[in-house]
Amino acid sequence: MNDIASAKVLEYKGNTLRFTPENPAEAKIPADELHEHLQKPSTARTKRLKERCRWKHASAGEFIEKSVTAGIERMRYLTEAHKASEGQPEAIRRALGLANVLNKSTLVLQEDEFIVGYHAEDPNMFPLYPELSHMAVQDYLRSDYSPQPADEAAAINEYWKPHSLQSKCQPYFDPADLGRMYQVSSMEAPSFASGYNSIVPPYETVLEDGLLARIKLAEKHIAEAQADMSTFPWDGTKGLDNIAKIDNWKAMVIACKAVISWARRQGRLCKIVAENFETDPKRQAELLEIAEICHRIPAEPCKGLKDAMQAKFFTFLICHAIERYASGYAQKEDTLLWPYYKASVVDKKFQPMSHMDAVELVEMERLKISEHGAGKSRAYREIFPGSNDLFILTVGGTNAKGEDACNDMTDAILEAAKRIRTAEPSIVFRYSKKNREKTLHWVFECIRDGLGYPSIKHDEIGTAQMKEYAKFSLNGNGATDEEAHNWVNVLCMSPGIHGRRKTQKTRSEGGGSIFPAKLLEVALNDGYDWSYADMQLGPKTGDLSSLKTFEDVWEAFRNQYQYAINLCISTKDVSRYFEQRFLQMPFVSAIDDGCMELGMDACALSEQPNGWHNPITTIVAANSLVAIKKLVFEDRKYTLEQLSQALKANWEGFEEMRVDFKRAPKWGNDDDYADNIITRFYEEIIGGEMRKITNYSGGPVMPTGQAVGLYMEVGSRTGPTPDGRFGGEAADDGGISPYMGTDKKGPTAVLRSVSKVQKNQKGNLLNQRLSVPIMRSKHGFEIWNSYMKTWHDLNIDHVQFNVVSTDEMRAAQREPEKHHDLIVRVSGYSARFVDIPTYGQNTIIARQEQDFSASDLEFLNVEL
Amino acid sequence: MQAEKSLQNQPHTEAGTSRPCRSCKWQTPDPTDPHRGQCTANRHAMGGVWKRWLRDVENTTCARHEEGKLSFRDHV
Ligand code: SF4
Repeated sequence: MNDIASAKVLEYKGNTLRFTPENPAEAKIPADELHEHLQKPSTARTKRLKERCRWKHASAGEFIEKSVTAGIERMRYLTEAHKASEGQPEAIRRALGLANVLNKSTLVLQEDEFIVGYHAEDPNMFPLYPELSHMAVQDYLRSDYSPQPADEAAAINEYWKPHSLQSKCQPYFDPADLGRMYQVSSMEAPSFASGYNSIVPPYETVLEDGLLARIKLAEKHIAEAQADMSTFPWDGTKGLDNIAKIDNWKAMVIACKAVISWARRQGRLCKIVAENFETDPKRQAELLEIAEICHRIPAEPCKGLKDAMQAKFFTFLICHAIERYASGYAQKEDTLLWPYYKASVVDKKFQPMSHMDAVELVEMERLKISEHGAGKSRAYREIFPGSNDLFILTVGGTNAKGEDACNDMTDAILEAAKRIRTAEPSIVFRYSKKNREKTLHWVFECIRDGLGYPSIKHDEIGTAQMKEYAKFSLNGNGATDEEAHNWVNVLCMSPGIHGRRKTQKTRSEGGGSIFPAKLLEVALNDGYDWSYADMQLGPKTGDLSSLKTFEDVWEAFRNQYQYAINLCISTKDVSRYFEQRFLQMPFVSAIDDGCMELGMDACALSEQPNGWHNPITTIVAANSLVAIKKLVFEDRKYTLEQLSQALKANWEGFEEMRVDFKRAPKWGNDDDYADNIITRFYEEIIGGEMRKITNYSGGPVMPTGQAVGLYMEVGSRTGPTPDGRFGGEAADDGGISPYMGTDKKGPTAVLRSVSKVQKNQKGNLLNQRLSVPIMRSKHGFEIWNSYMKTWHDLNIDHVQFNVVSTDEMRAAQREPEKHHDLIVRVSGYSARFVDIPTYGQNTIIARQEQDFSASDLEFLNVEL
Repeated sequence: MQAEKSLQNQPHTEAGTSRPCRSCKWQTPDPTDPHRGQCTANRHAMGGVWKRWLRDVENTTCARHEEGKLSFRDHV
């Protein structure tokens, strides 16, 4: 067993560097159990809450904890309201559905918790969404997690079949095309088939205004619209617009009232428990305090940090789990909470508390999110292995004036994450050279403790991108230059506006994936998928005999890619068409200033375009093209026919040939031969072709390369590839990360390669694995800080780090029960290592662990 | 004879089979459509799990059928 100190000694600028732990006590901790020694919950309460947390991690489509199952209440009450409201305007039916669920659902109150609220009838449960995809619910009905009574659930799903988003959208597509998408091998299934979704809720209006004020606003608009309709002279070309607006405002009123009474019901439950059941006087007082908070908010504006945390959590539950399912936890949390932190911690004006009390509150929030259950379809129970759902918040960056946006709330959020050690929610840090060093230290502390987050996004790139998209705004009201600074990651990787309006409300705006590795495979087979589905998967783009030059191969790929990306985006826009007609979100609309002003549904109104799609497995395709160009068309060592024969045999009997293809130049080594081809691939095809498409919002669709766990799923559905990969092996684990183990020239060569791709990209995920002893040594921060400055100057969009040793991962594979606190970065999210299938674990172990040589330190200009 | 054996080793249609992919430990459901499935029996020495799509999990089978269910750890 190794210890944490590295034996490495480095001569650098006349000094001898040794990498012993910065904290001498760590020298005694065995390297293969380091992470079991790093948690430090700030109070006994958060320690207890973590010990009894009901995790809902899923892998390979299965929940890890056996007690987790789907609940029936949401689908039951939604269906009841839908049947009872037939004939009413659809927006109002949606509001009545939400109200019925909120009025009748069982409430959950758990011991020790201070932030209250849950979205199902039992904390081991999660709700289902038959109004989205009946196939996704059908899968649950056949699983071990079926809602009970199963007959009732099946009847509800049958009822929704004709009404579901899936049934509304499907008739507009060729069943053959949909069949290809449903396989998730070359394209992700459309959201109408999976129900998957994401949103950036405008939390700001709830915290700043309170819902009573939103109700008043809607009522004022209704009165004005009605007055307008009775004004002489009537103008039918404009007056009729009032009808849909009045319906939307009425729906907003119904939704807001229902949310207020649901929160107050939650408060009454706390009061009843305090007065009748709780015997501990301290907890009694606390329950009465929670009762008072829930009575006041979200009805009224928040005044202190406890108010803000609770109002934010209620809003999260409605927007992400009750009104409609949406993955994510998008918010600029430090900016959002700062006024309330100031009131409670700095000024002690309301709900006075210390900084450490604020840290405890964030720890409790993290555990609530860890416990949150998502009724997501099987595909999404496969593709974030070892985690619950994608919960990602954003901190840091710059404010509307371009100044450092870090504050003491930022530090509280980061400190809580380091102390409590949960995989969720993940954190994005917007890196600017203006960020204060104190906060950068907290960022580094989380990273070196192996949390895998914060993942780092380039502040200026994100801001410039918001300005660029604003130019395409259909109503001329995109983000202003100041508002362009107000961005967060919508999900893992893609920026979008946060704030009181102009936020992204549905994944049909941006999200979803396309898989270049599979597209290259079918491009080499005339569009046929011989390795997974044994069927035509794309257009006929020519058999091998017609691919006489490298450009022929390139164009065959381009044609496959055009077909697939067109289908991906058109399915999203058709979803959008029906979402705004049958899946209105009256609560989300009520809390968006734009929807409130214009009387529009949140799915219909788009002020700031934000179109994107995620290419995943791009590097396998790109490295394959490089190898084909070199070995087939330049060196002429093999023919395409020979290559095809070797691939069909999974390289069996062709080992020498496989080694040649494996050794061909690879991405991530600052090798101009590979990098020139691959840069052209990213800029001309992956980005260039995608951005020719215009989506519902009027803007271009841009690539946000990332991987989640799809690099494993798609890898297992892709046969052997010309980069020397065997059939079924995982693909590349980032959006622009080198293929695992092929970046042999050190961390700065990776940065130089990645920095070459600049045009036509919205984002690209870079995974890097850094050495534990170096990061935990007294030189760790300086090396990382210099790395970040160089990364920034090279204008790279993103980077995230694993700082976990192979020893520890191997030990966790041997004895999983002893390694529950080992967290790793998969791709775009962090996961509990022992909850990932062995296949996926091995892909993380196989990633190149970057050491730093003296020349790397020189390139980074490290001062030690 | 050899050809017949090789066919039996491959997923193939057998209407009403008593050993359908649906009950086989190597099968895992399709990510989107519950009537379809995926066979994961094809595993490479280097760790690859090379899946095959199953159009109809009730009426497809092969000679490698084994009743049961694998742990999530053994899937992808
Ligand atoms: S091993 Fe055979 S029976 Fe089992 S899932 Fe695969 S094809 Fe079906």
